[in-house]
Amino acid sequence: MAERAGHGARAAEAGVIDLKDLVRALDQRRVADWTVIQRDEELAVLDETAPRLRRAERRTRWQLTVHVDSADGRGSARVALDGSAEDAGDVVARAAALARASLGSAWQSAPPSAPARVRLTDDALASAEPLAAADGIVRGLKRPGRLAVTATVAVAREQVHAASRDGLRATWLAALARADVLVASAAHSLAITREVRQLADLDLDAALAAAPAELDAIAQASAPTPGPCTLVLATDALLHGGLGVWEAFAHQADAAVERAGLTRYRERMPIAPGADHVHEPLTIASDGALDYATRSAPLGDDGDAVRRFTLVERGIAVGLGLSPREAALRNRDPNGGVRNLVVAAGSWSGAAGDAGPDRVVEIRRLRALAIDPFTGDASLEIALGFAGGKPFTGGTVRLDLIDALARAHRSRTRIRRGAYDGPAAVWIEHAELIP
Amino acid sequence: MNRREVLGALGAASASSLLWALGCGGRQDEAPRAPIAREDQVRAWLHDAVARLAAAGFAAPHALALTRRRTAAANDVLGAAVRRARADAVVLAVRDQDGALREQVTADVSADGVAAAVSALAAAAKPARVDFGRPIIAADGSPQPHDEELLAFADAIRTRDEALNSRIVYRAELVEIDDARVWSVAPGRDLEQRLVRVRQVATRVAWNGTRPIVAEVSRAWLGPAGSDELGKEAIEDATRGALALMTPAAFEDGEHAIVLAPSVVASIIDAAVPALLTTAAMRLPEVARRLELGAGAASAAITLVDDPTAGGNFDAYGGFHFDDEGEPASALMLVDRGHIVGRIADQAGVAAGRAPVAGRGRRPGHVGRVEPAASHLVLAPGTAAQTALRDDGFVLEGALGAVVDPASDRLVVSIARARELAHGNETGRVFGELELVANLGALLASVAAVSKETETFGFRDEVDGRPRWRSIAAPWLSARGTVRARRRPA
Repeated sequence: MAERAGHGARAAEAGVIDLKDLVRALDQRRVADWTVIQRDEELAVLDETAPRLRRAERRTRWQLTVHVDSADGRGSARVALDGSAEDAGDVVARAAALARASLGSAWQSAPPSAPARVRLTDDALASAEPLAAADGIVRGLKRPGRLAVTATVAVAREQVHAASRDGLRATWLAALARADVLVASAAHSLAITREVRQLADLDLDAALAAAPAELDAIAQASAPTPGPCTLVLATDALLHGGLGVWEAFAHQADAAVERAGLTRYRERMPIAPGADHVHEPLTIASDGALDYATRSAPLGDDGDAVRRFTLVERGIAVGLGLSPREAALRNRDPNGGVRNLVVAAGSWSGAAGDAGPDRVVEIRRLRALAIDPFTGDASLEIALGFAGGKPFTGGTVRLDLIDALARAHRSRTRIRRGAYDGPAAVWIEHAELIP
Repeated sequence: MNRREVLGALGAASASSLLWALGCGGRQDEAPRAPIAREDQVRAWLHDAVARLAAAGFAAPHALALTRRRTAAANDVLGAAVRRARADAVVLAVRDQDGALREQVTADVSADGVAAAVSALAAAAKPARVDFGRPIIAADGSPQPHDEELLAFADAIRTRDEALNSRIVYRAELVEIDDARVWSVAPGRDLEQRLVRVRQVATRVAWNGTRPIVAEVSRAWLGPAGSDELGKEAIEDATRGALALMTPAAFEDGEHAIVLAPSVVASIIDAAVPALLTTAAMRLPEVARRLELGAGAASAAITLVDDPTAGGNFDAYGGFHFDDEGEPASALMLVDRGHIVGRIADQAGVAAGRAPVAGRGRRPGHVGRVEPAASHLVLAPGTAAQTALRDDGFVLEGALGAVVDPASDRLVVSIARARELAHGNETGRVFGELELVANLGALLASVAAVSKETETFGFRDEVDGRPRWRSIAAPWLSARGTVRARRRPA
């Protein structure tokens, strides 16, 4: 956990309840369990789009979770507050009343576990004012010549305080910087987005350096030639929108959905037929304690300790993201849910030329990626691809992502970006490019 | 897994899970409202803030305050739940000597909180004398329903549905109210509005072979929550949509004559307008080059207007009396008989020369960053009955999402089902899981007829946890386009 040197819990804003008020009011209530999370947030946005914008925001948010037990089961309520003057006693009374009115199946909270030890900000983001940090990022951009570069940078820093009925008290500092950069020539544009908890991970220089070549490729791109192909997903396509194609596994590992029987595969079963017998079976872990990863946290929203656990091990489904309720119903420990995905690397060189003898289509950028959370079926709309060394734009690839990624060849080169740590590229056999 | 297991499993998730799924974050409750007296003081705090910012030498000082309550009641196969949440904020916006915008935002809506936000922008200064003009208050006397009333509204949706049967393995009804009071103060402008946005949703799930078929219908408006806008026919259409048995034969991919149902049309508009017809979209050279004002973009049958006033009725879900930059609401023509004649613009877009008029500067949740965004889009109806649009081809119903690539104009719309037509009549063959793939311009250019009947849809999504509201009134369209199966035969 990262503590911000010299920064304790911020004094309550005028007219705003504080954590102590809520804890005191909760202690006076006869409820089975409760958790309070207070977030003191500072947010800044610097937008270069004319007219230039500098925005600073400060707010305190609370999340209160209350459980009430009765002979008929357990009732739960969650209160979210994002505002000013309130009375802590009234908030708690209302939450308890609602919890009593929403009884469901009985379950017991697990004893509190130690929060995960994880770094959630670097010194630069922890010490600078958010607007100054955003300013620094913008000023540090290495803008390629002859192209227009417009950046929007948002920096958020929060001091989080968590308290629970069982005496758990935790405080941590977290920061997140997001850069959205539009690089444009006279006729074409491309967007670069990065989200990081430490400035060293921004990696905008390489993306900006590559932008002129990518824009040239887009300018020269022709229409795609449909047909069967071997598909190479390069990093930006692989991680489109964040976790990209790997998001399919996050959906499948949702315990509530799995309990509803609506997931593609079941625990202790291969994720796809034969997935455990391929050359390099797929292994994926959720690691919410990965330093500086964007989905890391010491505790989950319900005050449950975040843990690393394996989702898929050598092609076999072995783990699920478990909230306190789902964990209790399965007689297991909660793990904070699915967070950052760590995917085992493979042995492929990462070069498109090494991706088998068939026609190879390398996809560099996507326009859109749609994943059916229940089936893992996905549509990939192509923004920039290469076939036979020639650029093309447009076209669609449809994949059964669970099956395709279970059998995909993974590069040995790894990349860490946002909530992902794994192979920088994959290649998939027997795909089909359609117009 | 059999249907009973699905029912049990989905039921275990119950209404509280529905609230999670709808982005409500689980069962939540708001804190009791702060004393009303404080709301009466807000105007005075904002006056003081603007006067101090003006005294500090800032141009165009603007203060916006918000108190917003969100209530959602859900009712499903096994139970009911109510969720409440509250957000307050003040946004102070100024233009500095370099012409740059500066904003200071605080969630502390109190005299001290507003004063602290002013101090963060400007050193202490004696307030300047500012004429704010006469206050203009757009009041909405809609009462705030109790939890029990809300649940009764949700239950009433169920009782109107006589098409329900045992093949429906899951059903849910949702009533959602966003009740926002917004103050907007600037020199010469002293505005207040209350916007009570109501959305009703019915969801139905039935099995078709090995896959669940989900059908949803919704209505949304500004005004009292108790209205039965979501009528019996619409709800039963959703139920019948979920129950429709799909033709097992493979769909023949290709270009077809198509009739687009209003939900599909609305989905296309909702994807296309932000991607192509805003001043933000004009930052992309691909869009700026292609879609200059005056450019032909659609058939002459297409006329599109953004009208936050809803024809002066102020009852559209996405409507408002003034935008989040304090511009009074007025209708804006975007496409006139196929030609682009306007753009959705905020003040920054106008300052940058990308559009002639502002009035659509909207902040997510009224307090996020300003972005140019549509309010209530109306695709002008035609004169033909929707049944007259049918010939040979397919009726496409149930939009599941649309993507428009601003760079290439490529449109992909996921469609729940296509009903085959022959000589204007349904053949009985229904195909599921399709997509409409087209160049948007070509598709719109192929529109041959527009129905006189329209349906209105409300859209709500969130940016950084803050909602964006908009609505679209859309007719049926007949056109030509490529339709293909989304799933390949195994």
